[in-house]
Amino acid sequence: MQVKTIVLAAVLSTGPSLLHAQFDFRIDNRDIQVHSFASQGFMYSNQNNYLTMDTSRGSFALTDFAVNASTAITDRFRVGAQLYDYNMGLLGKFHPQLDWAYGDYKFKDWLGIRAGKVKTVQGLSHDVQDMEFLHTWALMPQSVYPIDTRGDTIAHIGADLYGDVPIKKLGSFSYTLFGGKRPNDADGGYLYGVDTMSHVPAPQGGFMYITGQTKDVTYYGGPVYGADLHWATPVKGLLLGASYMVQDITTTGHYTKPVVVPYKLTTVTDNATEFYLEYVIRNLRFAGEYRSEPKIVQLNQPSGVLVQGFQDSRSGYVSLSYRFTKWLELGSYHSRYVDNWPVTHSDPRNHIFDQVFAARFDINRYVDFKIEGHFIDGAAIDGVLDHGFYAAPNPNGLAPNMHMVVVRVGYHM
Amino acid sequence: MRHLQIFVIATVVGICAAVTASAADIKVIANPNVGVSSVSADELKGVFLATKSSLSDGSHVEPVLEKDGPVHEAFVKEYLGKTDSALQTYYRSLVFTGKGSMPKTLAADAEVVAYVAKTKGAVGYVSAAASTAGVKTLEVR
Repeated sequence: MQVKTIVLAAVLSTGPSLLHAQFDFRIDNRDIQVHSFASQGFMYSNQNNYLTMDTSRGSFALTDFAVNASTAITDRFRVGAQLYDYNMGLLGKFHPQLDWAYGDYKFKDWLGIRAGKVKTVQGLSHDVQDMEFLHTWALMPQSVYPIDTRGDTIAHIGADLYGDVPIKKLGSFSYTLFGGKRPNDADGGYLYGVDTMSHVPAPQGGFMYITGQTKDVTYYGGPVYGADLHWATPVKGLLLGASYMVQDITTTGHYTKPVVVPYKLTTVTDNATEFYLEYVIRNLRFAGEYRSEPKIVQLNQPSGVLVQGFQDSRSGYVSLSYRFTKWLELGSYHSRYVDNWPVTHSDPRNHIFDQVFAARFDINRYVDFKIEGHFIDGAAIDGVLDHGFYAAPNPNGLAPNMHMVVVRVGYHM
Repeated sequence: MRHLQIFVIATVVGICAAVTASAADIKVIANPNVGVSSVSADELKGVFLATKSSLSDGSHVEPVLEKDGPVHEAFVKEYLGKTDSALQTYYRSLVFTGKGSMPKTLAADAEVVAYVAKTKGAVGYVSAAASTAGVKTLEVR
């Protein structure tokens, strides 16, 4: 299997030199643009198996690729779609998915509407978190952009209202209002975590694992709506923003062990608020995001008893990167995730802190190579989401600290 | 010795002048069907960052870029406040979220002028010395 992935990595590395042109064609006198990207990663950690990958032995099981096509039907109306496929450890499994597909009509610069499966605009990078070629990092700050739940959170099936509003000397505002249904990534981390491990509320708050339970989840989804506001301030290079999102997720299926009975997890409240900033001066970029997501969920235990769990997770990061030359960029970020804010933050079961040092090499306009070191403190095993630290791939338990090297090569055109 | 110093300084200045350009060395051009004769710097920035698809006369516009070179570097820095690398990253974020297309990018002044001349709503930039027959020059306020 590793030979296959090495061959795939080699193909991804050399292919772009053969494909270094944007692929456009015309149908019915209309320009169709086709773009694609692909990346191959490698991770090695001194402890734990992270993101369902066998990272403690070194794993190449981190591959993704996408292709999209779009065209302008009129000056105001655009359509497009993107297919996406990924494999990451035990997730994804190379099952292709429709990543986004929508029509976009712009009435005015200050008012447009997109409808279909739409990338969700939240924070600085939510809708572009999976495009490694846009970022300094091989792995985005996992506190805010968990790669294992990407498929569930990156888009919604519904519509956006959006626009750009210049306010003379105050700079300009970009807004997005969105609403729709949360998609279901059947091969994503959330369902894998729910299937392979059960969580129940812990006496001190948050959740704890029950290893004797397994489930077969058959449905996951629900409505989601929210808003995002970007402010490009009059200070050159300074962007400020805020986002808000409400979601009502229901997960249903059956317990398969110790007894076969229905399983249902519902959201009582789940509201996420986020603030962010970016400051770019010449080749230096500073960014930071802070996110708060208190939630109450309700689930039935195999005995039939309904229980509620409260979780107030807080996450965020600060990052600094500098592009020295056209081919070299260096950067660092510090990412912090606290699973349940009222509970002791120093407990490694309740936090994940990640200090990262990264180097990005742009081989040419279309190919990049990245290497970065992660110094991770904590494993947050009390979470309702696993945040990369799944119990099943770590049958001997999780160590509270680990170091990890991530290498990634990507191309786009 | 003094002549040698002057020669070296003049050479360095000459090389720098040859490889850099400023806003004064750039002409913003548009297809003749574009109704306005001037644009504000903010409007121009909006057109090239795809947040503005029409100008004050209501005419639809689309940006045309040069692939690289001193005029391109100067335009991106002076009018868009970005580096070429940051601009490419910005365009890619639009393309791969479906929120925009990659703008037309051409290799030289003559190609940009020819494309803008034949394409309704096209707005581009070329060096101040370039021949601009068939297009109109926009004043940037």
